[in-house]
Amino acid sequence: MLISCNKLKTHIKNPEDIDWLNIWQTFTLRTAEVENVTKKGTNFDNVVVAQIKECEPHPNSDHMHTLKVDCGERELINVVCGAPNVRVGLKTAYIKVGGHIDNMEIKAKPLRGILSNGMCCSGKELGISDNHDGIIELPDDYKIGEDIKKYLPIEDIIVEIDNKSLTNRPDLWGHYGIAREICAITSHELLPLELLEINNNLTDLDIKINDDNLCYRYTGLKIDNITNNNTPLDMQIFLYYVGMRSISLLVDLTNYLMMELGQPMHAFDARVVKNIEVGLANENDTFETLDGVERKLTKDTLMIKNGNEYFGIAGIMGGLDSEILNDTTSVFIESACFNAANIRKSAINLGLRTEASARYEKSLDPNMTDVAIKRLAYLLKQENKEMHIASNLTDIYKNPLKESQVNLDKKTLELYMGQELDDNLVKNILESLGFTILIKPDSYDVTIPTFRATKDIKIKEDIIEEIARIYGLENFVPKPLKLDLTIVEHETVYNQEYEVKRLLATKFNMHEVNSYIWYNTDLLKELNITKKNVSLLGKETNNILRDDLSLSLMSIVKENFKNYSQFTLFEIGTVIKNNENKRILSIILTDNEKNIEKIYLEAKSIIKYIFKMLKNKNVNFTDNINEYSYYDVNLGKIINIDNTKIGTLNVLAKNYTNKISKKKAIVCIDIDFDKYVTLTKKNLIAKEVSKYPEVELDYTIILENKKYTDLEKVLNTFQSKLIRNYVLKEVYENKYMIRYVLGNEYKTLEQKDLQTFKDRFIKHIKDNGLNIIE
Amino acid sequence: MEQKLNELKENLKAELKIATKEADLLNIKSTYIGKKSEISLLLSNLKDMSIEDKKIYGSLINNTKKEMESIINNRLEELENKSNITFDDTIDYPINTGSLHPITIIAKEITDILKRMGFTVVTGPEMESEYYNFEALNVPKDHPARDMQDTYFLDNGMLLRTQTSDNQIHAMENYGAPLRICAPGRVFRNEDLDANHENTFFQIEGMVIDKGVSIENLLYVMQNLLREIFQENVLVRLRPGFFPFTEPSYEMDMSCLICGGKGCPTCKNSGWIEMVGSGMIHPNVLKAGGINPDEYTGFAFGFGLTRLAMMKYKINDIRVLNSGDIRYLKEFNIN
Repeated sequence: MLISCNKLKTHIKNPEDIDWLNIWQTFTLRTAEVENVTKKGTNFDNVVVAQIKECEPHPNSDHMHTLKVDCGERELINVVCGAPNVRVGLKTAYIKVGGHIDNMEIKAKPLRGILSNGMCCSGKELGISDNHDGIIELPDDYKIGEDIKKYLPIEDIIVEIDNKSLTNRPDLWGHYGIAREICAITSHELLPLELLEINNNLTDLDIKINDDNLCYRYTGLKIDNITNNNTPLDMQIFLYYVGMRSISLLVDLTNYLMMELGQPMHAFDARVVKNIEVGLANENDTFETLDGVERKLTKDTLMIKNGNEYFGIAGIMGGLDSEILNDTTSVFIESACFNAANIRKSAINLGLRTEASARYEKSLDPNMTDVAIKRLAYLLKQENKEMHIASNLTDIYKNPLKESQVNLDKKTLELYMGQELDDNLVKNILESLGFTILIKPDSYDVTIPTFRATKDIKIKEDIIEEIARIYGLENFVPKPLKLDLTIVEHETVYNQEYEVKRLLATKFNMHEVNSYIWYNTDLLKELNITKKNVSLLGKETNNILRDDLSLSLMSIVKENFKNYSQFTLFEIGTVIKNNENKRILSIILTDNEKNIEKIYLEAKSIIKYIFKMLKNKNVNFTDNINEYSYYDVNLGKIINIDNTKIGTLNVLAKNYTNKISKKKAIVCIDIDFDKYVTLTKKNLIAKEVSKYPEVELDYTIILENKKYTDLEKVLNTFQSKLIRNYVLKEVYENKYMIRYVLGNEYKTLEQKDLQTFKDRFIKHIKDNGLNIIE
Repeated sequence: MEQKLNELKENLKAELKIATKEADLLNIKSTYIGKKSEISLLLSNLKDMSIEDKKIYGSLINNTKKEMESIINNRLEELENKSNITFDDTIDYPINTGSLHPITIIAKEITDILKRMGFTVVTGPEMESEYYNFEALNVPKDHPARDMQDTYFLDNGMLLRTQTSDNQIHAMENYGAPLRICAPGRVFRNEDLDANHENTFFQIEGMVIDKGVSIENLLYVMQNLLREIFQENVLVRLRPGFFPFTEPSYEMDMSCLICGGKGCPTCKNSGWIEMVGSGMIHPNVLKAGGINPDEYTGFAFGFGLTRLAMMKYKINDIRVLNSGDIRYLKEFNIN
């Protein structure tokens, strides 16, 4: 929101004491974030009031004129001007030769052959309006030769306040509220507004509210005999500076009041107003708003109706019918207060957010509507001395908002502040913000003004916030928490996740990725995979939440294949399965197709390593009953710990892999991390080491049409007290080299012991139908 | 005889001098003191000598043989101990390294700092109920945050959490007061993607509840946390903010590290960078967590880990973080 310092000054007593350029840093600390402070009127100099004395068409141009202007100097000055509104007698803004505008020096130069000494300026050229239709027209009573800045509030400081930081402050959506804050911050006095008091001795207007939960209050007033609909220049400049367009006095005044008090208003041409009714629209009805767009309404859209016809969308925008026209002399002024949530919803549904709706959304003070009308009437009267009030100030206000009270105990205040505050300090702060306060021995009775009560302030903590911010947050001293050594419960999830991540990144050189919680639906389509799972509402693509982390990682895998032929990555992430959050660790190993065995076996080692190192547990693999058809039917494994499933090892089926990248292999590990976290680490127990040397014996066994698992079964049925352990050392084609470690607790093994073992072992292997290389 | 033995010794020394290989040395050894060596022959011939000669030459030959043996052994030892580097010691292969996600790294760093201040780390669900994400956090039904525009609602009546603040309620329910927790986590907002906006990003939440916790405690924790993160003397300032779940609410700004607070494009010339949303926990939130606000007070804070990581690691495009693009991510070695 844009704020004019000139305007603020009109509401504050002795405003000259305030450093208007620098106060905004403090304002940011006390009230709301200031985004920008801009000086206005510094873009030009040497612009004076001048009067056109002679005006002739330019001989070499079809639209230019040659003028003789009086700018207060001894002689009239020749100026060439292209504006259409030049005429003898017109007073306008003239920039002298040697003057500057937007960093450009004005020089005497010929225009189509005739020398022009200086320039007559439009409002746009001076930066005080966007009007470039002609040169600016100044009132007759401006003295020729005077600097224009003396008459018009061109020099100003415009402050931009972050709208977001005003979300909870409906009272700050107008200059008057900002002025109140400035007064509180700088200990100044806020001046009361000048109002026109209305004698309610006429008749009421016909106004009806159908639902007073949606429209809290509707205040209307009819004013006749408005003959001057021209907005004074200073008001035009103000409106322009704060981002509004000047249209006509009546329209401008409603905007002016919105900018001053934050109260959106409407001026209807009274000729068309029959009776006003505030009520909901019918579903699917349409209504053409002021901007000429036809809007589709719903049964929740609150409307202003006139004689049973839609007249405007409440709190958002009026319609074309009620527009103020050139010949309007009688107006119906609306000042109402609507339900914030309803206005916000309608504005969103209609895709139409206006200055008015932005304010209503913040929960405006309903007690402001009548003040705004009286203020508007006062300002209108300044320009139309002959106007007369044509109705009662009609006010439909069924449940008036009353001021409420909060008791703030001094103990709580001291606790929050970390220090005791003087009663008078508390009183001054609160009173400057519009609160009233009754000091009691142990507490304060604080009355909340209604302009703060609609949204912001309800409980004692809210009052503490008010005191703390005006007191100055920079006056707080940081204090450490007091030491409390009570042992606290803790969750290990985060640490365990980090432990695994670090292991994978450091030991296995993997890359950690983060991916979206939803499937890339384009990729699913490409892979021809249909997934049904919890979905995002209101979205057509990337809307299905993932239930298989590895599959969802395939979009990342696909991208990385563009740059790498081989890589390994992992994620610990959430999937949604059976309507519940699950944490999964997925590891994806990729390589060229010919290396599938390598990465598949590597995957197994990784899994074993994780559980051995971090949980001191051994993994075993069993064949998978494929849950998902996109994984290879034969290569899927279930990962078991203590004979319960903790994850799966899969290979993406070839026809899917080919769609990701040709001639590649993709191996996926998925570990149920929720289960992983609950696994307790098996106790570490020291093992006695044999005093006698151990002996290693290698055997090479040939497997025909059999797998290692078959060999393992055979090996596991071979019993000997000498066996310390055996391991698979190497596989070459169908030859499996097994290394046995043998030993005896009580003696060194002798040749004959080894020979006996060897003979028995070879026999065992052969008995089980396997070949062994002797 | 004496001359003969000296000659042998000298010959040996000469031959040893040229020999550089172990095998050559062993050959020399067998030639000079082996079974068939001249000296062995001399020794075996001793038996044919007279007793007198035996006496004289026996010890002389034996001593010479021992001397020769020790010369050879010394030389052998010398050779064994001599390091003979013959490979190209300038070869230098690139190393293979893995990487942790920048968010993981920064979250670890921050949780480590908070742990030093007595915080424990908790986690919460990404798919969350409206109750934990909004209602219990004092976000009323008509609050703009609840709009479809900002929140991903799900067809099962749940939503994707929009903030890590849901952890506040979970933690209070799980552990009660007093409490000191932090909760890093992933959150979701329905936003269009560009270099500065993501619909999926990370935050960290912190919460302290105890008897007598004040605004000053909040200030201390935040100031020290930011100082530790940036390892610089960061200035921290509070200004009024608005969050439904805290009262009073504060935005916390940090002095801009790029310009040192003088003003630059990064801080929009203000000298300050908005970092943290914080405040004293709203009594309604304490109540929702089953904690009596008349007995306990507390503060909570939350800030964007994603934003912090971007600042700290100078990541220009937020989209990199969820891209899984190894070309970018591989730079993030483990700190």
